[in-house]
Amino acid sequence: MRLHYYPGCTLKDKTTNLDDSTREAMKILGYELVEPEGWTCCGAEFPLTEEKIVGLTAPTRILRQVELEGGDKVVTTCAFCFNVLKRTNEALHRDPLKRKRINAYLKDDIKIEPLSKKKTTDFPEYSGHVWVLHLMEFIRNTVGYDHVRSLIKRDLKGLKVAPYYGCRLLRPAEEVGIDMPDNPHIFEEFLENLGCQVVDFPFKQECCGSYLSASLPNAATEASYQVLRSAKLNGADMLALSCPLCYYNLDRRQDRIQEKYLDFNGFPVLFFTQLLAWALGAEEKILGLDQHYYDPRPALGITDKAEVVS
Amino acid sequence: MNGNGKKKKIGVFVCHCGVNIAGVVDVERVAKELEGYEGVEFSTNYVYMCSEPGQKMILDEIKEKELDSIIIAACSPTLHEKTFQNVAELAGLNPYQIEIANIREQNSWVHADKERATKKAIKIVKSMVEKVLQNENLEPIQVGVSRRALVIGGGISGIQAALDIADHGYEVLLVEKNPSIGGHMIQLSETFPTLDCSQCIMTPKMVEASRHPKIKILTYHEVDSISGFVGNFKAKIRKKPRYVDADACTLCGDCEEVCPQVVPDEFNMGLSFRKAIYLPFPQAVPGTYTLDIENCLGLLPIRCGKCKDVCDVNAIDYDEEEEIFEEEVGAVVVATGYDLYTMDHLGEYGGEKYEDVVNGLEFERILSASGPTGGVVRRPSDGKIPKNVVFIQCCGSRDTEHHNPYCSKICCMYTAKHAMLYKHRVPDGNATVFYIDVRTGGKAFEEFYQRTIEEDSVLYMRGKVSKVYKEGDKLIVLGVDTLTGQKVEMEADMVVLAMSMVKTEGIEELLKKLKIATDANGWLAEAHPKLRPVESLNAGFFLAGCAHGPKDIPETVSQASAAAAKVGDLFAQDVLYHAPTIVPVIEELCSGCGICVTMCPYGARELDPIRKVVKVNEVLCEGCGACAAACPSGAAQQRNQTDNQIFSMVKAILKG
Repeated sequence: MRLHYYPGCTLKDKTTNLDDSTREAMKILGYELVEPEGWTCCGAEFPLTEEKIVGLTAPTRILRQVELEGGDKVVTTCAFCFNVLKRTNEALHRDPLKRKRINAYLKDDIKIEPLSKKKTTDFPEYSGHVWVLHLMEFIRNTVGYDHVRSLIKRDLKGLKVAPYYGCRLLRPAEEVGIDMPDNPHIFEEFLENLGCQVVDFPFKQECCGSYLSASLPNAATEASYQVLRSAKLNGADMLALSCPLCYYNLDRRQDRIQEKYLDFNGFPVLFFTQLLAWALGAEEKILGLDQHYYDPRPALGITDKAEVVS
Repeated sequence: MNGNGKKKKIGVFVCHCGVNIAGVVDVERVAKELEGYEGVEFSTNYVYMCSEPGQKMILDEIKEKELDSIIIAACSPTLHEKTFQNVAELAGLNPYQIEIANIREQNSWVHADKERATKKAIKIVKSMVEKVLQNENLEPIQVGVSRRALVIGGGISGIQAALDIADHGYEVLLVEKNPSIGGHMIQLSETFPTLDCSQCIMTPKMVEASRHPKIKILTYHEVDSISGFVGNFKAKIRKKPRYVDADACTLCGDCEEVCPQVVPDEFNMGLSFRKAIYLPFPQAVPGTYTLDIENCLGLLPIRCGKCKDVCDVNAIDYDEEEEIFEEEVGAVVVATGYDLYTMDHLGEYGGEKYEDVVNGLEFERILSASGPTGGVVRRPSDGKIPKNVVFIQCCGSRDTEHHNPYCSKICCMYTAKHAMLYKHRVPDGNATVFYIDVRTGGKAFEEFYQRTIEEDSVLYMRGKVSKVYKEGDKLIVLGVDTLTGQKVEMEADMVVLAMSMVKTEGIEELLKKLKIATDANGWLAEAHPKLRPVESLNAGFFLAGCAHGPKDIPETVSQASAAAAKVGDLFAQDVLYHAPTIVPVIEELCSGCGICVTMCPYGARELDPIRKVVKVNEVLCEGCGACAAACPSGAAQQRNQTDNQIFSMVKAILKG
């Protein structure tokens, strides 16, 4: 089954493990992921000023392309991309005038075919009807947990996983609406259906430090440390997440955390799609586990010995 | 023409209302234009018609010019119609020959162009002349009064209202849905700002109510619906089966002992347990056990039946059934109280997740000498005495974006009381209060709050708490001190949330049947926020206590007494008068289609199935005119507002 999939730029660069594991898992589940042609960066941040039309054009263009290709939904795994695309769509829905104005800008978009140099312009309007879904929502609503469970090849029983939502998946609740912001359970449900033992911890919706890792690294380090510490304290073996920036702060910058907090000696952090693909029997090398700062392989029970898939 | 075929003599009185009207409308021109208009005998203007000299002028002119009707061109009829009707009555006119032409609210206050406003004023007055020409003399409809009151809700407000009405000498039915009266107040430990033991001041009231010869207490009863009208209501009351004969029960407690079913105790806010057959609390009124059918193993003696076996006085009757009966009452006091906003609304504080995060009422029970811990402050999870307690105010209050926009009013004071009582019980403990503002508007409230800080060393921290979570057996409170701008992280053994007060769950069903309006937050709406604060807009209904909005005990008691006084006013009348401007049916024209019956919001109209005409209950009709507008055959004509009158008025407005 064909499914529109918007990876976003980080998945093509810093977190190819998220991209690869998503593709592999969805392939096993029977879906062919199609990227909208000529997709660009979503903008990474939803513009918060009322009049910032420009910030909405890039995501609108992506959604329009999905619609042009006959898609009615688009799935993302990056929490930031999901947040921006979903909120843009909501904004266009709520405000027909805004939709009109953005479409007016985008009408004169020019597309040049790389080989034939054929120009396309005068694009049709984007209706606002493409459904933006996070992969976790898509799996729950469309794929179905039963289907996932029927294809599970590896037993993750006893794997204590702490689901980490971060901020972008849940808030602002009335626009993003993936789950209740204070008491979410979609991630827990997902992990339970993979056979993991879910570990609830109080920092699952707290901020990882986000972009502060660039401007105020100390603050980001502290925030990330609190999240990892809390997950560990509550008995988790690893943290699962869906956001490349959270991954950057919580895994790739564990060097900084270790420098600052002497009691911290590393903690495995995995993308939810890596767990999904792993459970579905994907080969280890596809998961890109070697890209992680803190090697998650021991936590997954991978030793150097050849592993037998049941 | 008036009723005798004689031409009507109408007087027009145009009021300046200082500059309110005269500043925009040329009142002299209005008066002049009306002179010589058909039917107008006399026309004048004056600076304040409602003043004593103004009223005297009207009186004199009516007598001198022998006027049949008068039109006052002034403010809205809601303000002074009654004033001028009284003047007219003094002069011997029928009060329904007086009409108010509203040239203030509907003209001078909303317009600026003097020329056009004046023209509009003239049209308004002329249209009223057309109406008055066809006005008939009407007599108010008289109805009797049933001098019995129904009080809904047996908390402190309901009890106080019932006692006061009964002391006036009138019979009272006090209906309470729970097995005992007492409401929330009987659950409280001590009351601010005097630290009176709440039970000690509440139980005498409860006993007094139960002993009062004029009060009939109906606990475990609910009001199903109320029909009728002021002075003559019929209340349908549902008696829930208690399965225990209240008069026979001797409170020996044998049944409780043998009952195998253990469930959380509502009176102790779920902090302790009770049996399925239970006495809500030792001082319960009436003092009787109640069998909670929801949790009972079943009424089949074959399944359990232990309680019935041990009851020596045979008070238990498994065959008791629900009963609905009707009572006639003249007035209703609605004192249905409040609920607490549930803690799941504030997921970040973990009230649903952590046992040691409790709401204000739970902490009252923990503090109470009759509570689950016997008055020793112990936390629910492990029974340890908490050494650090954090109190969070405004949980769900004053948060327009996410929760309730209003202030729950009592939380500042009860939190101060909680912190103080905690410090009295655990002198080496630390109490910290997070607040937005501390509002202590009340007699001796500020002094009490200062005492909490100065004498009992309670730490007040201005700022909100963002999160409460558990680490080991400690709760960690993350917050901010907005006075220093610092992030605050503190350990606590227990957290007390001052949850917002909200309307009683499910109350809207009842209110819909009683036709009592509520405000945006579900609190009962008063007839006028300043001048009629204890009356509902629906005549005969009075409001008392927290059902009307958050308030403390003294205020609740005052309002209950005020409502009782209003009931007394009503019952002191020999007869009640009902406005005669109702919509009767011209039977010859009525086709019996029944459209007006469905239109009537007051249930005043019904179709006679045999004669196929609609009958009107005159006292129920409020004269809204919905039926008159809907009637396809013109059979529903409102008195002094007939179709002919309206057409004449429209013509007068459209003419030139």
